Amino acid sequence: MAPEIRWEQEAGADNPAGQILVLIGAWTVHNLPHVPTVTFPPNISKTKQLTLNSEMTAFDSAAALVLARWLRHWRAAGLTVDVSSLPERERNLLALLDARLVDELPAKTRAFSPVARLGEAAVSQWTEARHFLAFLGELVWRGAPLLLFFWRIRWRAVLAEIEAAGVRALGIVGLLSFMIGMVMAYQGGATLASYGANVLIVNLVGIITLRELGPLLAAIIVAGRTGSSYTAQLGTMRITEEIDALRALGLPPFELLVFPKVIALVIALPLLSLFADLMGLLGGSVVANYGFGVSFAVYFDRMPQVVDLTTLWLGLIKAPVFAVVIALIGCMQGLRVRGSAAEVGHATTVSVVQAIFMVIVIDAVFSVLYNLMGY
Amino acid sequence: MAATDDWIIEASGLINQFGSNRVHDGLDFKLARGRVCALVGGSGSGKTVLLHTLIMLREANAGSLKLFGVEIRRADEAVRQSLRERIGVLFQGGALFTSLTVLENVLLPIKEHGQFDPHWLKDLGMSKILLAGLPADSANKLPMELSGGMVKRAALARALALDPELLVLDEPTSGLDPIGAAAFDDLIRTLSDSLGLTVLQATHDLDSIWRGVDEVAFLGRKRMLAVGTAAELAERDEPELQAYFRGTRSQAFWQAAQQAPLPIHSLSHQSEPQLRNA
Repeated sequence: MAPEIRWEQEAGADNPAGQILVLIGAWTVHNLPHVPTVTFPPNISKTKQLTLNSEMTAFDSAAALVLARWLRHWRAAGLTVDVSSLPERERNLLALLDARLVDELPAKTRAFSPVARLGEAAVSQWTEARHFLAFLGELVWRGAPLLLFFWRIRWRAVLAEIEAAGVRALGIVGLLSFMIGMVMAYQGGATLASYGANVLIVNLVGIITLRELGPLLAAIIVAGRTGSSYTAQLGTMRITEEIDALRALGLPPFELLVFPKVIALVIALPLLSLFADLMGLLGGSVVANYGFGVSFAVYFDRMPQVVDLTTLWLGLIKAPVFAVVIALIGCMQGLRVRGSAAEVGHATTVSVVQAIFMVIVIDAVFSVLYNLMGY
Repeated sequence: MAATDDWIIEASGLINQFGSNRVHDGLDFKLARGRVCALVGGSGSGKTVLLHTLIMLREANAGSLKLFGVEIRRADEAVRQSLRERIGVLFQGGALFTSLTVLENVLLPIKEHGQFDPHWLKDLGMSKILLAGLPADSANKLPMELSGGMVKRAALARALALDPELLVLDEPTSGLDPIGAAAFDDLIRTLSDSLGLTVLQATHDLDSIWRGVDEVAFLGRKRMLAVGTAAELAERDEPELQAYFRGTRSQAFWQAAQQAPLPIHSLSHQSEPQLRNA
């Protein structure tokens, strides 16, 4: 039964100053949406004394809160309220809640203006950059001795990481490279064919795949696939205090968790890039053969003549650099997670975006460098 | 004893099994309205499994379980959902939602149940926070900014959000300092008395077991071995009970209990608890 109220005149009709409020029905949290914020006696101007009576079937703490608020309003309006005829349990509950009314809800801590938010974003970008440099420094500082004493590297962990990041990525990297190779041959071939220069498809696909697309595609897939998993893994380990446990046990997390991942990616990503190169060239050859009359024999015969080994190396040499950046960003974002489950999700997003961004920036830097060096 | 329809929990012949490992084998347990009961037993005796069965996170493999007089093993999901709303749960680690503030944590279950005026909603949430003994300025804090004791209180505030009739607590005082633990016991007692709550708490806290509760239910031999006050259970012959209630750590409590009956806070609405065989 829904909560209701009934106003009654105090006994003795010559006493308009006294009003009785009878509370009826089930006053519970589920029924509260139907209860008004505050209610006053019908002839408020004459009323001095208010008595509460109960015919309630249920009365919980949420209802007691409502009643406590009403009491405040009534008293502020100068009424005297008598609750002594309520049952003891209801009276106690009312007193319990009345003692715990807050006058003012604590305000939310901060709300920044757009300008301040812009500044905040700039500062946070600057901090990100500084953190990355510090992390890179830590890698060199702690990693260099490990490279000298290479038997101390956890090779078992490295192998496991190579399997997860490299071997299991072969399918997706191969398929995507194959398709990009096809697309390149199609788009380039259409233009070249109109000049009758079909055979130059080999130059186009060969140079772009080996120098740029193979390593870049592999790096971007690994950043999305493996960098994110590093962040999620380390972030969750932070929240469950596993990282702290490692530290307390005297096992440096850097040596145990970060370093094997870096080494593994530095080994796996160049190999993946080579695989991507191969599949890209294959994809191009299929389109060249069936679409533009450049047979497989001609395609693979011409390939070594138009792209030399330097082209391959110029592409592959970028892969270890990408690998270090992807692994470091993944681990850094993971280790910086603090507090909540939502933070792990956020850190993973940041990690993937940063890694892909950095991979493309570094690729551009390499292009400029190669240009200056005359390659 | 209370009338039949005033049993909040009535379990009989419960069987819980994981693979071939039988955790409960024919467990019988009853809890009357308004009682504060401690669920004790050695580690691995199936306290948490029993709690999970009672709050319907897990279905028992066999047996009968009535909550508020409703047989839940035959009830459909809608009935179970309405029963869940009458049960407040405090998980062992607090299980606060880490990305929400304390106030948002408390308001989450309330918001799902009807359209409230936003001002009322906040007022309601604040009243629960203060009822749980937290200061008002903790309302906008995130769980990670709270101490262990405050997390428990915030979790209690969330458990109280919908004014439950049954409060189920999994080790509410574990990880609290003795003063904080005693204060938490008092808080539970106060809330139980003023809100008419029935409380079932799994605990290892000897202070709670000997002083804080109306009755103690002891899990052992895959069933409810005995129910009664700690002092009564200490007089029993079963070796498990003797080890638990007369062991080195219980000695002081037991001796004090033999000299003078321990003060059990409020039994005004109940007759003296009788020793029952489960």
